[in-house]
Amino acid sequence: MSRAPDTFSQSFFMAELLVHALVIELEAVQSYKDLAVQMQQCGNDEVAELFEKMSELEAGHAAKIREKAGDIELPDLAPWEYRWPDLEPPENIDLAGIHYLMTPHHALKLALENEMHAMAFFEAAANDCTDERIRSLAIEFAGDERQHVAWMEDWLAKYPEPDADWDYDPDPPAAID
Amino acid sequence: MSARVPSKLKASDYKSDTRPVWCPGCGDFHVLHSLTRAVAQIALRPEEIAVISGIGCSSRIPAYLNCYGFHGLHGRALPLATGVKVARPDLTVICAGGDGDGFSIGGNHLLHACRRNIDITYIVMDNEVYGMTKGQPSPTTAPDWDSKIAPGGPGISPFYPLVIALASGANFVARAFSGDPNGTAQILVDAIEHPGFSFVQILSPCVTFRPDQREWKKQVHPAPVTPTSDAAQAARRVMTDDGFNIGVLYKGSREPYRQTVGQEIRFDRNIDEEFLI
Repeated sequence: MSRAPDTFSQSFFMAELLVHALVIELEAVQSYKDLAVQMQQCGNDEVAELFEKMSELEAGHAAKIREKAGDIELPDLAPWEYRWPDLEPPENIDLAGIHYLMTPHHALKLALENEMHAMAFFEAAANDCTDERIRSLAIEFAGDERQHVAWMEDWLAKYPEPDADWDYDPDPPAAID
Repeated sequence: MSARVPSKLKASDYKSDTRPVWCPGCGDFHVLHSLTRAVAQIALRPEEIAVISGIGCSSRIPAYLNCYGFHGLHGRALPLATGVKVARPDLTVICAGGDGDGFSIGGNHLLHACRRNIDITYIVMDNEVYGMTKGQPSPTTAPDWDSKIAPGGPGISPFYPLVIALASGANFVARAFSGDPNGTAQILVDAIEHPGFSFVQILSPCVTFRPDQREWKKQVHPAPVTPTSDAAQAARRVMTDDGFNIGVLYKGSREPYRQTVGQEIRFDRNIDEEFLI
């Protein structure tokens, strides 16, 4: 399995930190795009549109990181060589939390959790870092993620928690006639 | 860091424009990601890969890839894959499907594919249920899994695919978990690169008919042992584990089947004439 918490505490090199930051956003772009397709396929257009928007937002974040990286050559890591604290990059939505009848409230709640994971990732990276330059970059990334958390909280406030029977389906797929 | 040659293609370059119709949250989405990550990492070009499947939810996977693909008959993915590999040994042949397709109707083919040890990688997305046909118990379903369609559970001993594969001669045996797409990609790279018949069981939850499998994420754990080249030892380990050990369990060194160069089949007689009435 790819989980490697013991190596996570080791300091990052500058290029390594940048490639982790970039891949967090790029993976999130793809993850949200995939979820939009999944929701479209089952007719949940409202949430599909929301996931599309999130994917666009993440693409914007990725572009900013690329700009920051400038001419620094980023390492070509195999997917399992990244030092994520969990099985996947912190902003990837866990498929176990997905439901075909989920509402925008659920989608935003998952997105908010992911931004918090990303913030915690960079805070931990900053704490473990001894090189002042890299540490300050990790703090900057954590600050960006804190801003994303605030945006998500504002967005979520517009979508109150749905009724308890939000997942009621009069014709459920698992019914046996 | 990897010493591997950097891939020219990204994982997303191996995906076709066809949108998957799996249920939202299905583990097979992750398997698709893992497979594309694996082939990108090995730097195989799409035209160097053939993905062959049978029937079932997971067997739709060739449609979602832009390499060669064949969506075959139920349970017949391995004979098709064998034919492709024998006819085109230059291709990397990956066979994919589910536990019903692979262990029930295709069970006999699994035994003989392991025996023949042709250089194929067989991926089984195991969710212990027939999802496409609304949730009947499959060969790997626990005997006490209670459902409307099988009240009280199937009541029969489940099939142990890894042990069967080891006993039948598979040259590489591993178990992966779809919820760990990067770890699964690493196992798939290993499986594809290992010569001979590689068998990878991927625990891939069915969120619709087995919502209980969402808990698998908490249950899986890395196998506490390194891969062995002793099939009997690997089989003992698999028989006594909890079914959630993830990792490469066995790497054999049996010579894979290869067509002898220059030994083409020739008909001395005119076969058409013999069949004339």
